[in-house]
Amino acid sequence: MQMKGDTLQSLALNRLHAVKGVLLEAVFVVVAGVLFAFAANKISPQGLALTRDYFPEGTGRLVSATPPAALPHHATGTNSTALDPAQWLAAELKEKGLQLVDRRQTLQLFHDPRFQQNVIVFVDARDEQHYRQGHIPGAYEFDPYHPEKYFDAVLPVCQAAERIVVYCSGGDCDDSETAAILLRDVGIPNQKLLVYGGGITDWTTNNLPVEIGGRNSGTMRNPGE
Amino acid sequence: MNTGQPDWKRIALNLSAVLARWLLGAVFLYTGWSKALHTVDFLKLLRQYDLVQSYWLLNSLAAALPWFEIFCGVLLLTGVAVRGTALTLMLMLAPFTALVFHRALAIQSALAIPFCAVKFDCGCGTGAVFICHKLFENFLLLLLAAWLLAGYGRQFSLHYNLVKPKPR
Repeated sequence: MQMKGDTLQSLALNRLHAVKGVLLEAVFVVVAGVLFAFAANKISPQGLALTRDYFPEGTGRLVSATPPAALPHHATGTNSTALDPAQWLAAELKEKGLQLVDRRQTLQLFHDPRFQQNVIVFVDARDEQHYRQGHIPGAYEFDPYHPEKYFDAVLPVCQAAERIVVYCSGGDCDDSETAAILLRDVGIPNQKLLVYGGGITDWTTNNLPVEIGGRNSGTMRNPGE
Repeated sequence: MNTGQPDWKRIALNLSAVLARWLLGAVFLYTGWSKALHTVDFLKLLRQYDLVQSYWLLNSLAAALPWFEIFCGVLLLTGVAVRGTALTLMLMLAPFTALVFHRALAIQSALAIPFCAVKFDCGCGTGAVFICHKLFENFLLLLLAAWLLAGYGRQFSLHYNLVKPKPR
């Protein structure tokens, strides 16, 4: 009887040690994993800057929690999900002192002779990979999540320009808004900044010219590709 | 593990457990890597969950999670601290699955569609997926992790136990 009790006690103790061992291992995994993760983030070219606010003034949300205050009263009815996205976006931008432009206005600016003189400037707010796959001809690359890479090239041009059209992919993408706010925060006046809401998707689906590779590479993508 | 089963059955069970370990490791390695390559996209997706208000905390989560998954994936593939890693992954997977479920419910309610028709990018590293597939997949991953936590998948391990149980 005594032996059976000892065996049971020994089994329970072994089980307890095993559980403790697993818990200690898990603690080791968490500590070593977190250290590894932050070190890897630090050296990765895709790493995030921990202290940077990537979403100034509430940008970057696919779905806004509340309708923008600048929305016309008739549009803030009970069924707010049925709102025209362009109307919603225009109101959101207006709240931030920015102006939305559509394809027609963007095309006018694109064909304006001042575009060739950099008086009108186009800024592509997508990442490098997407930019190289195709952008509006002559547009400057400006990924708002890695702005330090682009400020040197983009800032002087924007300071000298009279009109700056910022765009991203269109649809849910609001990187153009983030980029415009970033430019505004470094001293580009609000009145110069225009956001092309339709973005590159709207541009390409209407068979407008697309340049691939770097800016002014001269390599154009065939419409419809 | 000697469970008193015939040899071939035991071998098959052990091999299945090793395959489960490799599968779980490969899944975390893949999803972690795909997030680590697009950290900004992952940051944007993570933000949709409204988990934290502080931006540096959100940045820290988005920066660390992909590499942490890679770390755990490598541990499982090589067989180092297997049970501790399995426990850690379960503790990560369970609340994350609950968050995904909660967000899917919100989307379902907003769009008034059947639950299984909800499709969105949950930030899981596999793009937009149907929620029922995602929940089933996470349930399977949890089961595999629980199996490893129970002490299976020991074969072909570099260092199965980091903390050796005291012999008595």
